[in-house]
Amino acid sequence: MLLRAKGLDVAAGGRTIRSGVDLAVDRGKCLVVRGPSGVGKSLLLRRIAQLDPGEAGELALEGRTPSEWGYQAWRAEVCLVMQGAPQLDGSPADWLRAVQSLASQAGRPTGDPLELLERWGLDARSFERPWSELSVGERQRCQLAVALSREPRVLLLDEPTSALDPDAVQAFEESMRGRTSIWVTHSAEQAARVADSVLELGA
Amino acid sequence: MSGAIELGAPQLAIAGGLVLLAGGLSVLMQLGVGKRLAIASLRTVVQLTILGAILEPLFRSELGWLVGLACIGMIALAAFESVRRAGRRYRGIRRDAFVSLLFAGGCTAVLATAAVVGVEPWWEPRYLIPILGMILGNGLTGISLGLDLCLRSIDEGRGRVESLLVMGATPREASRPVARAALRSGLVPILNSMSVVGLVTVPGMMTGQILGGSDPTQAARYQIMILFVIAGATALGTAGVVLLALRSLFDAEGRLRPERLRRVLE
Repeated sequence: MLLRAKGLDVAAGGRTIRSGVDLAVDRGKCLVVRGPSGVGKSLLLRRIAQLDPGEAGELALEGRTPSEWGYQAWRAEVCLVMQGAPQLDGSPADWLRAVQSLASQAGRPTGDPLELLERWGLDARSFERPWSELSVGERQRCQLAVALSREPRVLLLDEPTSALDPDAVQAFEESMRGRTSIWVTHSAEQAARVADSVLELGA
Repeated sequence: MSGAIELGAPQLAIAGGLVLLAGGLSVLMQLGVGKRLAIASLRTVVQLTILGAILEPLFRSELGWLVGLACIGMIALAAFESVRRAGRRYRGIRRDAFVSLLFAGGCTAVLATAAVVGVEPWWEPRYLIPILGMILGNGLTGISLGLDLCLRSIDEGRGRVESLLVMGATPREASRPVARAALRSGLVPILNSMSVVGLVTVPGMMTGQILGGSDPTQAARYQIMILFVIAGATALGTAGVVLLALRSLFDAEGRLRPERLRRVLE
C-alpha cells in the first residue's frame, strides 16, 4: 500500500464530523470518495493533507507517518488540489515560480505544466495571464497543471473537473492514468470511469 | 536651555477661549460636537497636567529603577493601544505587541540617548522619557497598521496562504507575501511624514525646542535624529509584531489556524 489511513477522525471548528475512517490506496490506483454533501469529504482530504489538525488515527505514506516524513515533505508528496478555482495574486506562472522556490520542492522530479494545459485544451498563454482574468474552468486547469507537474506521490483531488467541459474532463482523466489519487466527485459516471476502489461515506 | 516665558492659568484661559469659540460654532451650526469638544478639552487639561506632575519629580529624582518603571509603563500603554486599533485579536496579541515594542522602542531609545546624544547617564530621564515617548507615539501607528493588515490578510486570504501550504511550504514561506505587505503598510506613515516634514509642517519637537530657547539649527538636528530613530523603531517593531503574530497563527505542524483569530467590532 502506498497510502494508508486507519481510524482517522475528521473535525471542523472543534466538532468531530466523522471518526474511524479507514482507507488505503495502491500505487497508480484511484480511490474515489463518495457521499452526500456535508459528510466531510473535503475535510477528509484536508485532514489527509495535514492541513487540518486531528486527534485520532494513523496515516502513513510508504509506511512512514507525516511526522517521520516532515510535515512540509508530506504535503509536497501528498498534494491537495482544493475545491473551486483559486483566486490568487499574479498569474499561474507566478504561482508556479513561488512553488518551485519552496525548500520542500527542491530537487523533486517535475513535469511540464504547459504541455498538460495544451492537452486539456487550454492555450499556454493563459498561464501568464492574471488569475483574475481567467474563467473558473481555466483557473481550475492551471491549478491542476501545476499540481500534476510537481509529480507528487499521491494527488488529493476535490471535485477537480467541476467547471470543465466534457472534452477537457476526458483529457484530464487520461492524464491521471497511472497516477495515485484520492478523488472526491459527485458524478457517478466519473466515479465509474476512474475508480479502482470506492469509499462511501454515509450521512 | 534658559527657558521659555512661563504660562500661568490666566494665559491658558485665553487659549481656552478659542475652544469656547469652536463650541459656540458647534451650537450655532448644530454640529453636535459640543459635548465631545468639552470632554476632549477636559481630558487634554487633566492628562497633560498629570503628565507634567509625574515628570517633574521623575526628572528631579536620580533613581534609575523609577525611570525604568516609567518606561515599561509607557511601552505597555503603547502596546495596548496598538492592539486596540487592530480589527482582529488572538490570544497573546498584547504580549506579542509588548515584546516587540519593548525590543524596538527600548533598543532605539537607548541608542539615541547613549550613542547619538551621548548624555550621562544614558537613562537621564530628561532625554530618555521624551525620546521614548516620541518613538512610541509615532511607532505605534505603524505597528497597529501593520498588525491590522497582517491579521486581515490571514483572515480573508486564507486560500492564498493555503495554496502554498498544500504544495509543501513552511509557514514562513507561505506567509511571506502577507508579512511583506504588512511591513510595507506599517512604514507608510513615517515615510509620508519624513517626506513632507519642514515643508508642510514644523514638527512638534522642533517647535518645542525653539520655544524653549534652542538654536533652530540644533532643533533641526534633533528633529532629524528623532525621525531616523522613529523610522528604525517602526521597522523593527512592525517586523517583530508581524513575525510574532504569524507564529501564533500557525501550529507546530505548520498548519494555518485562522480559528485562533477573533474579530473585534468597534
